[in-house]
Amino acid sequence: MSTPHGDRPRRSRRVMSVLRVSLLTLAAVVLVVWTVFPFFWILLTSLKQPLDVIAAPPKLVFEPTLDNYAGIFIGRQRGSYASARPDFPLFFLNSIIISGGAVLLSFLAGIPASFALARYRFRFKEQLAFLFMSFRFAPFIAFLIPLYILFQRTGLYNTYHGLIFAYQIIALPFTIWMLRSFFMEIPTEVEEAAKIDGCSWWGVMTRVILPLSLPGIAVTVILGFMFCWNAFNYPLMLAGRQTFPVTVGAIQFISYEQVLWGQMAAASLVAVLPQLILSLFVQKYIVRGLTMGAIR
Amino acid sequence: MLPYLLMLPALLLLVGMIYPFCLGVYYSLTSYFLQYPHLFRFIGLGNYLKMPGDPLFVYSVQFTLAYTAVAVLVQVSLGIGVALLLHGRIIGRGVLRAMMLMPLMMPPVITALMWKVMMASTKAGILNHLLGWVGLGPVNWLGSVNAAMVSVLIIDTWGNLPFVSLILLGGLQSLPYEPYEAAVVDGASGWDVLRYITLPLLKPFIILATTFRIMDSLRIFDVIYATTVGGPADATMNLHMRAFWHAFQWYSMGMGMAYAMVLLVLVFIASYVLMRYWRRAAAQAEL
Repeated sequence: MSTPHGDRPRRSRRVMSVLRVSLLTLAAVVLVVWTVFPFFWILLTSLKQPLDVIAAPPKLVFEPTLDNYAGIFIGRQRGSYASARPDFPLFFLNSIIISGGAVLLSFLAGIPASFALARYRFRFKEQLAFLFMSFRFAPFIAFLIPLYILFQRTGLYNTYHGLIFAYQIIALPFTIWMLRSFFMEIPTEVEEAAKIDGCSWWGVMTRVILPLSLPGIAVTVILGFMFCWNAFNYPLMLAGRQTFPVTVGAIQFISYEQVLWGQMAAASLVAVLPQLILSLFVQKYIVRGLTMGAIR
Repeated sequence: MLPYLLMLPALLLLVGMIYPFCLGVYYSLTSYFLQYPHLFRFIGLGNYLKMPGDPLFVYSVQFTLAYTAVAVLVQVSLGIGVALLLHGRIIGRGVLRAMMLMPLMMPPVITALMWKVMMASTKAGILNHLLGWVGLGPVNWLGSVNAAMVSVLIIDTWGNLPFVSLILLGGLQSLPYEPYEAAVVDGASGWDVLRYITLPLLKPFIILATTFRIMDSLRIFDVIYATTVGGPADATMNLHMRAFWHAFQWYSMGMGMAYAMVLLVLVFIASYVLMRYWRRAAAQAEL
C-alpha cells in the first residue's frame, strides 16, 4: 500500500488503536460481568433474610445472615419462615452415593471395553462404539418412560441401585469414549516391548497400561462423577424423597404455596460447590470430556 | 475372542439399557395410560397418526426447531466473538479463560434456578432493576409468552456459551502461522484475515461445536423444567417437555413415548447429517 506516511494517517491509526483497545476492554468487562454476576447474586441472595430477598428495589447492602444455610443443613428456622424443610444433607449424600456408584460400575465395565475398542480389531467394533456414543445424544425421555414403568413394577423405584443403573446411561458411554481416547494415546510399542520382556497379557495390563493411563483414568473418574452429579431428569421421576440428589433437592424449595428463595439460593450454591472445586483439577480436560474425547 | 471377552461387562450393561428402550418403542404403539391399565391395547401407529392433526404437536415441533435454530445461531456467533477476544492480546487473559470454565460444569437446573432468582418479575428482581437504570420497564421474564422464550434462551446461552467459546479457542490456538504471515505480506486488513483465513480454517471446529449445540438444543429440558415447566400458555413446550408432559402429567405413556420417538428421529437425522459434514470438513483440514 503506497500511502504517504504523513501526519494524518498516523494519527488516525493511533485513534483506531485506542478505539480498538477500549472496545476490546469493554467486551472483556461485559464478559466478566455476564459470567460472574449470577454467582455473585446467588451468593448475596443466600445471605439474605426473607424480607430482604423480596425487597424492592433489590438490596445490595443488608445485614447478612447464615439462617438459610442453617435452615438447609440443620433445619433451624426462624419465625414465619419455617415450612416443610427439605433434608438437604441427605440429598447431598444421595448425590455422592448415586454418582459414585454409577462411576464405579461404569469403570468396572468401561476399562476393559474401552481398551478393546482402542486396541483390537474385531467385527462390529465401530458400530458398537457408535452405539455407545448415541446414548450421549438420545433424549433422556426415551429411556425415562420405560424405566419408570419397569422400576414401579420391580420395586427399583426410589432405590439407590435403581438410580445407579439409570445413571449408567450417562456414565458408561462417557467412560468408554473418554478412556478410549486416552488409551489410543499410549503407543503400541510400549506394550510390545513389555511382551518381549516376558510380560503376560495380564502383566502388560496391570504393570504397563494401567499405570501409564492413570492420569487419564483419574480425569475420566472426576469428569464422569461431575456429569452424574449434574443429572436431573432421571432422578426427577425415578427417585423419591429418600433418594433425591441435590439437583432435584434444589427445586423442592419451589412449591405451590411459596418459594423459599434464600434457602434455594443456599442449596444451589452448596450443590455446585463440588463442581467448582473439582473443575480446578480437570480444567484442561473439561472440553475434551464434554465432547466425549472428540477434541484433545 | 479376547476383545469380545473384554467387551462383555459393558455389553451386558448395554443390553440392560437397550431393553427398556425397546420396551418403550413397543409402548409407543399402544394406548398405555398408567391409571387405566384395562385400556392397554396395541394400536399400531395410532399414536403417530394422531400427531399431525394435533395443534399441540405441531407447535412443539415448530418451537423445538425454531428454538434450536435461534439458540445455535446466537451461541455460535457469540462464541466466535468470545473465542477471538480470548485469543487476542488482552489484559488478564488467563483469568478470563479460567473464569469461562465456571458455568461449564454447572448442573443446568441450578443454572436455571440462579437466573430465576434474578428474573423475578417484580421490581425486586435485579434484572428488572438494572433495566430500570436505562429506562426500560419491568419485564415479566418468565411469565409472559414472548419474554419466556427469550429468557430460556438467555439462561441456556449463559450455560453453553463457554463450551462453544472454548472449543473455538482451542481451534484458534491450533491454526498454522503461514497463512497469517502471507496475509501480512500482502497487506490484508483485519477483517479480510478473519473472513478469508481464520473462519475457513476454523470450519471443522465451528461444525463440531454446532453439532453438539444442535443436539443439545433439540432436547433441552432441564432449564425449561426449572423455569417455566413449558409455560406460560405452553409457549416453551418443546417436544421433550411435551413428551414428559404426556407421560407424567397425563400418564399417557404410549403417547409420551411416541413423542420421544419423534424427537429421537429428529436428533438422529441431525446427527447423521452433521457427522458427515464434520468428517468432510475434518478430512479437508487434515485433522
